[in-house]
Amino acid sequence: MGADLNVAAWEPGCHIFGDGCGFEAPGTELFNPTPWVDFGLAGAAGVTKYYVLAALSVVVVLAFWYFTTRRAKVVPGRAQGTAELLVGFLRDQVTRTTMGKEGDKFLPLMVTLFLFIFTMNVMGLIPIPGFQVPVTTSLAFPAVLALFVYILWNVIGIRRHGAVGHIKARLVPSGVPAWILPVVVPIEALSNFIIRPATHMIRLFAVMFAGHLLLALFAAAGFYMFNPMSPMGPVLGAVSVGYSAIALIGFLVFTVFELFIMAVQAYVFVLLSSIYIGEAIEGAH
Amino acid sequence: MHLAAEQGSVLEIHWDEFTFGLIAFLIILGVVYKMWPNLMKALDERADQIEGGIARAQKAEAEAEATRQQYREKLEEAHREYAQELEKAKEQRATIIAEAREEAQVEARRIVEAAHAQIEADRQQALVQLRNEIGALSTELASRIVGETLSDSAAQNRVIDRFLDDLEQTDSNTQQAEVR
Repeated sequence: MGADLNVAAWEPGCHIFGDGCGFEAPGTELFNPTPWVDFGLAGAAGVTKYYVLAALSVVVVLAFWYFTTRRAKVVPGRAQGTAELLVGFLRDQVTRTTMGKEGDKFLPLMVTLFLFIFTMNVMGLIPIPGFQVPVTTSLAFPAVLALFVYILWNVIGIRRHGAVGHIKARLVPSGVPAWILPVVVPIEALSNFIIRPATHMIRLFAVMFAGHLLLALFAAAGFYMFNPMSPMGPVLGAVSVGYSAIALIGFLVFTVFELFIMAVQAYVFVLLSSIYIGEAIEGAH
Repeated sequence: MHLAAEQGSVLEIHWDEFTFGLIAFLIILGVVYKMWPNLMKALDERADQIEGGIARAQKAEAEAEATRQQYREKLEEAHREYAQELEKAKEQRATIIAEAREEAQVEARRIVEAAHAQIEADRQQALVQLRNEIGALSTELASRIVGETLSDSAAQNRVIDRFLDDLEQTDSNTQQAEVR
């Protein structure tokens, strides 16, 4: 279950109670793999495992959606039932609560966002040696989605209420006394137009990043502490196995927890997107 | 750590990954939008069918209620008609019985009268016959008793008639007494 076998955080043979080489925790190098194809361009990551996993995510999502809704019938089968469960959940819990009936036309977008994000997240739990990492731990992927929602938010707001109406609704909260506006307007501008889209993408990225790092740490520590043939004697060897077992249990528990977080983060991203778009539809409040 | 230091911050947004992610996202979005009506059509159809089913059930129920009402009315009407018919039949029966009784009485009277007439006729006939026979018999008797022949037919007849007149008178007196 070792996460990222290609990472040089530990070499075989470097164990607790061993020859004295210390434990080196896995770090950010997990998320900056050496590219197989380097474009040689500034700001480009090159072709890495992220490309492969993103492409795999697309395939998985498309396959899921194709096979569950290809022959949608009035009396649903199991596959269709799964899709309907997802669509019904997002409709009732996300779009209807934030946008009302009008939100139904944004439901396909929300379904797409949820499926895509969740699948990219789950890539961190699928043990393909050398490829096991959530795709959303590369900031570019959450950034695309957050930017898409940000642009849509502006487009809908401007279409509904005009450019002035949209910006005014976002900058001037209703019921604020005029004398305080010079303070409030810059804060609102910074908050709504810059910080909010940034946090929208960073929240997803950071949670997945931290979660993956934690799992990698448990895996690496478990591996490091497993040294039954310790040169310091069988007692310490047995102790090392006990340590390792604790790390393994931690790893398993956190894996389950991480799966839950992956779903929650996808849900949160979709919920926030829905709230932003609903806000743009509504205009000033 | 050494690799990270070489390759820069994890917060860097690589534009190539960004482009790749955008394409991936748009592909999925396109396919989901394209296949969306599939699912919605099925869902709408289901809602329609459920609503239609409820409406049909309500309609059928209303129809059944109306039919039941009709039957109840018909049944009541039939009961009423039956009672009326029964009443009428009773009246008719009474009338018929009365008529029949009257007819029977008339007929009986007629038969009795006819019988009386018949008896009277028979009696008259018997009387006439008897008169003739008695004439002959009495003549013969008289001739035998007297021992002589009453050759004179005129005298003969006179004797007989006188006898018969007497006889008749007596007879009718007797009959009248009988009747009384």
